[in-house]
Amino acid sequence: MSTLAQGTIVVRPRRIGATTATLLAGAVALAVGFALPLLLPSKIAMSLFAQALFDALLATSVGFLFLQNGRISFGQAAFSGLGGYAFGILVARGLVGSEIALLIALLLPTLVAFLLGLVIARVSGVAHAMLTLAVGQAFYEVAFRWRELAKGDDGMSFDLPRRIFGLSSRGLQDPAFMVVLAWCLLVVVLVGLALFARSRIGMVTAAIRDNEERARFLGYSTTLPRALVYALAAFIAAIAGILQASYNGYIAPQMFHWTVSGYALIMAILGGAKFIIGPAVGAVVLFYVKELAGQVAEYWPAIVGGALVLVTLTMPQGIIGILRLLWLRRPPQ
Amino acid sequence: MSEPALEGFALTRRFGGFVALDGVNIALKRGEIRGLIGPNGAGKSTLIDVLTGRAKNRRGRVVLNGEDVSELSPQQRRKRGMARSFQRTNIFPELTVEQQLRVASWAVADADIAEVMNELNLTALAARPAGDISYGDQRRLDLALALVGRPQVLLLDEPAAGLTMDESLALARTLRDLVNRWNVTVLLVEHDMQVVFTICDRLTVLHLGRFLSEGSCAEIRADPTVVAAYLGTQA
Repeated sequence: MSTLAQGTIVVRPRRIGATTATLLAGAVALAVGFALPLLLPSKIAMSLFAQALFDALLATSVGFLFLQNGRISFGQAAFSGLGGYAFGILVARGLVGSEIALLIALLLPTLVAFLLGLVIARVSGVAHAMLTLAVGQAFYEVAFRWRELAKGDDGMSFDLPRRIFGLSSRGLQDPAFMVVLAWCLLVVVLVGLALFARSRIGMVTAAIRDNEERARFLGYSTTLPRALVYALAAFIAAIAGILQASYNGYIAPQMFHWTVSGYALIMAILGGAKFIIGPAVGAVVLFYVKELAGQVAEYWPAIVGGALVLVTLTMPQGIIGILRLLWLRRPPQ
Repeated sequence: MSEPALEGFALTRRFGGFVALDGVNIALKRGEIRGLIGPNGAGKSTLIDVLTGRAKNRRGRVVLNGEDVSELSPQQRRKRGMARSFQRTNIFPELTVEQQLRVASWAVADADIAEVMNELNLTALAARPAGDISYGDQRRLDLALALVGRPQVLLLDEPAAGLTMDESLALARTLRDLVNRWNVTVLLVEHDMQVVFTICDRLTVLHLGRFLSEGSCAEIRADPTVVAAYLGTQA
């Protein structure tokens, strides 16, 4: 057998193995998700963990944009906010059925991000970060000032429809149900992103991220694949926004604010933005660090900020990067 | 007589007041390896950039296999059979060798990558991230990316830059062999005259952005204007 055939054989089984391992890990994680109400000690613990999972979804969205496009966003809250607002407003006004409202709330941010991506994908570095910040704040200003839309800066409460997809919607505001739902959605998103990264389009977008010029000279249009990544990232952010809005029964302009995007970025960096699971881990860790710091000190943001500076300087690969390093350096069995 | 594989007519490129390329004409016969030589600043890389669409030519036309491609993007030219490599190694450092060759193949109708990997001795490196392999291997990978899908016209900008003499000559022999078997037309920019004289059929000489001379290797070596402008300076 020729060496070239041998080379192919070496690589292909690994890819199949990795896919199978990803699916198996996803299945195990889903099973863990259904056990969460039994594992968490109280409704308050479930509620806190559910909110940490909303953050995890938004951080995953930011991390995916960095991992697959090599772009840093300070405006990803625009898409979680848009998802939450679209769902809340459509449901509160009874403009469409709850299922259609959900669909619109998922697709509207995705479409907006795709169209924006066609423009801002051409920009990189600080200019890109500033553009995303401007887009996010533009949405914030609209939500803040347009009182007829959703009561402006007061925000708007809304009642969930009685049923969604034939099921009672009361569970969406029950911590025990929401923590399972958010966990399962996060697992599905992470598995989906892992499969995407190994797919043809995933590898093409990774190549464009690595070296856009070379990709063009191989025959690729680079704008559309980049815009697709923006759209997928916005879709994930929209899930976070819809879950948050449903759980709280409340939408407010703060959902769009750049500080929400900034925290999501910090979470992604803390967990390890070069790993698909990293941002989610960073989000959960930071959420609980914030909770803990808030209980012991009035000026907790300063404590969190100092800790973050230290962590970023000492472990730029994030938590998952450190764990990976420890795993690779483990003594031989 | 068959039409040239690649032609450039009156190609001109300016950077502000500096004229990098001044009305250069070039025509490559199908299957030939044409060396493009000249001192630094002669316009060699600029000519490749203009021919491949990386730089817009202010005047002039580029014709590929009889089709005017002057207004086409680099990706459109690639799909019509024109590939290139770059002066500096231009690969995808975080993808494995095999992954990036696959990405290259998908752009040209799922071309076979095993052939290119084998020809350029990359098979053993298939699973390694490109950023982790040696510089010499990266240069061969760079060439492999351009060769995926058997392009009809290949423009190489100093493919042997930074390689040892032995590596350069090995690369040159591989290239000569592939060109003969695949009937690829090559425009080669190279400062290593040993490589140039080993594999090129004909040479075009540029000087200060203008055409200076053209001929076989023997003719160029004997051309007093080329010796004065360029070869005379070679150690």
